[in-house]
Amino acid sequence: MSKRTTANVVVDGRTLVVSNEGKVLWPNDGYTKGDLVAYYRAVAQWILPHLADRPLTLERYPDGVAGGSFFEKNAPRGLPDWIPTVAVPSDSGRRSEVRFMLCNEEPALVYVANLAAIVLHVWTSRVETLDVPDFLFFDLDPFDGCSLATLAKVALGLRAALEEIGLVPVVKSSGGSGLHVAVPLAPEYSYEIARSFGEMVARTLHARMPKETTLERMPAKRPQGTVYLDYVQVGKGKTMVAAYSARARDRAPVSMPLDWSEVEALTRKRAKETSAEFARFTIKTAPERLAESGDLWGEPYWKVQRLDAALAKARRLWQ
Amino acid sequence: MAHAIWTGSINFGLVTIPVKLQTAIRTNDLRFNFLHKKDEGRINNVRRCSIDGEEVSYDEIVRGYEYEKGKYVILEQADFDRVNPEATQSVDIVQFVELSEINPMYFDKPYYLEPEKRGRHAYALLREALKAANKVGIARVVIRSREHLAALKPNGDALVLELMHFADEIVDQSSLDFPEREKPHENEMKVAKMLIDTMSEPFDAEAFHDKYREELLAMIEARAAGKEAPKAKAPVRSHDNVVNLMDVLQKSLEESKKQRGAQSAESASERREAAKKKTARRKKSAA
Repeated sequence: MSKRTTANVVVDGRTLVVSNEGKVLWPNDGYTKGDLVAYYRAVAQWILPHLADRPLTLERYPDGVAGGSFFEKNAPRGLPDWIPTVAVPSDSGRRSEVRFMLCNEEPALVYVANLAAIVLHVWTSRVETLDVPDFLFFDLDPFDGCSLATLAKVALGLRAALEEIGLVPVVKSSGGSGLHVAVPLAPEYSYEIARSFGEMVARTLHARMPKETTLERMPAKRPQGTVYLDYVQVGKGKTMVAAYSARARDRAPVSMPLDWSEVEALTRKRAKETSAEFARFTIKTAPERLAESGDLWGEPYWKVQRLDAALAKARRLWQ
Repeated sequence: MAHAIWTGSINFGLVTIPVKLQTAIRTNDLRFNFLHKKDEGRINNVRRCSIDGEEVSYDEIVRGYEYEKGKYVILEQADFDRVNPEATQSVDIVQFVELSEINPMYFDKPYYLEPEKRGRHAYALLREALKAANKVGIARVVIRSREHLAALKPNGDALVLELMHFADEIVDQSSLDFPEREKPHENEMKVAKMLIDTMSEPFDAEAFHDKYREELLAMIEARAAGKEAPKAKAPVRSHDNVVNLMDVLQKSLEESKKQRGAQSAESASERREAAKKKTARRKKSAA
């Protein structure tokens, strides 16, 4: 444990207080809050484009990953005035609006990490266009007994389906056991359209891979060994774990953008379980990988696309 | 008649009358299931741990009493059994009182006591004696492993066991704001009494119905009848859904395109401007 309980850090000309740097957040790995701050600073240039201008929900672990956690949508009390916020009408009724913080620059990232906000959840739209998503989002969630190879095959099946209709997706590990697939969109389509489109693709994929996939929302009804194709995580206020966000799991894994060739390689692996594979990418190993290969969810991989022509193709090919 | 809640006895003095405890109140509430609006899937509750986020099975659940914020005393089934009054399954009469002595607010929920064959005679005797003496029995009774206070009342041909609240369960009137007792003006009183007299008639419970329930039921029946066919619960083939979805999507896309077209050129240039700014920011942060 570090003796100093607070330290001032100057980031981009702003002085931030980092308290309790020595506090252990990942007890099985011995990683501390200082390690979390250091990680987010090390990957700031890559993670910030994925956080910028998106309403941010913090998943905080004040007592580490083994302790309690809570989701914080409203900007925390005492938010520095230089961190911008956006007010969104609340749907819960308890308050009239929720004021989300926006994490647009490195000092804000340090501020967030100091709150032991391990997991960063972002909206699928940006402040200028909150009513329209700027990517389609598929959450591939392996159910009990789903092998790594099956998960990878389903992801590749999804990619193939999308490419048939002219869409180019990107993929990342969720940081837990699954994969996230996204199709960057021009911010012009309503959430309803995005969701229906996602449903169309998911149903088509399910018809092709009925044994490997399920659309069953109820976990109890999901067949063993399948991948749950979650296309319903698309909607105003729904969130995704941001690329490069850390996760509150042993080994401190992060959500890591992948090259499709890496997913292809997974089909040849024998792992019965998926999360160990993705736990290779941690707050300790990720910065090096990023320095080497850059942001696989950034330029030139993140191609803004349109749905009109894709639907026309789908009607021709899939009907 | 439904299953008895328990089979036991009424005890007082040296008398034991074998009886069955039966439900006296039918709950008429309409039962609704929570469904997912979109596809009518049943919503089920998942017991999830607030710490590790994992689903928790019943055998991993214990009951904790929060004696101080965030601090719990854990009690297991054996602990509850230990302090539980013996599940005697008996109505032990401890005293007899006049019914009018009991504030009706204490009464909670009635049950029927139905005599077993060999108890019929003693049962009828107790019932008639209570009627003649104009008394009710005060008893202790265990129902579903909890001890209750109850009144044993003759009611027609039956003995009714009415569960009662314990005194400390009744909210004290002094905790609320009521007008003080005062002597009202004589004329006012006369008018009020007259009004009461004109509205007085014998009480007929049958005259009252749960209108809310009836109207709700009528609406449900009409809707159910109006449905051309019961909704297919079997999973619809993915492909049919996809075709439908495509049609819906086509319409939505065309509409949104029209809307975009209707937007002024000005806002289009604004969008371009915003996009430019965004790219600039991306470049900056990537640098």
